[in-house]
Amino acid sequence: MSAVVGVLLALTVLAAWLGVAGFMRLRDPLDRVHCVAFVNAVAGAGLTLAAFCADGFSDRALKILAIFMVNLLAGAAISHVTGRAITQRGESA
Amino acid sequence: MSMWALSVLALLPAFALPVFVACRDADTGNRLVAAELASGLACCLLAALTFVIDQSSFMDIALCLALLSLPGALIIATFLERWL
Repeated sequence: MSAVVGVLLALTVLAAWLGVAGFMRLRDPLDRVHCVAFVNAVAGAGLTLAAFCADGFSDRALKILAIFMVNLLAGAAISHVTGRAITQRGESA
Repeated sequence: MSMWALSVLALLPAFALPVFVACRDADTGNRLVAAELASGLACCLLAALTFVIDQSSFMDIALCLALLSLPGALIIATFLERWL
């Protein structure tokens, strides 16, 4: 089980770095929003699975699941609002 | 050193980069998106840190951060759209 946790944590770190690399590479804020969604979805999923593998159905693992779900669901709304704000700002400027 | 500690150490530079962009970038839209990325990574960091130091209160901080990031981003986006 320890090896599985290690692999899932490595996946989490890899997803985080991949998202940050894409964020630094892209220049337009509307493109950069996709990197945020990627990190929230993939790194969050990896961390949640690692927590469940390490702890089982503990309070801690369930809280990580709640954080993951909040990040995933709120992230969609935040991406939409951010994109709209940037677009509106660009049109008015 | 445990795997959780290693993952926290590996996530720290990835967290520092968007924080730097959020503080230093000239474009306000880029700064907002960088702050959102930093917020998501901070949640991951705090959650992993809970396993490293075995302090469950860190998980509540991460949960609060995740819950508060939505209204925070909405407010900043509204300001960005109307006034900034």
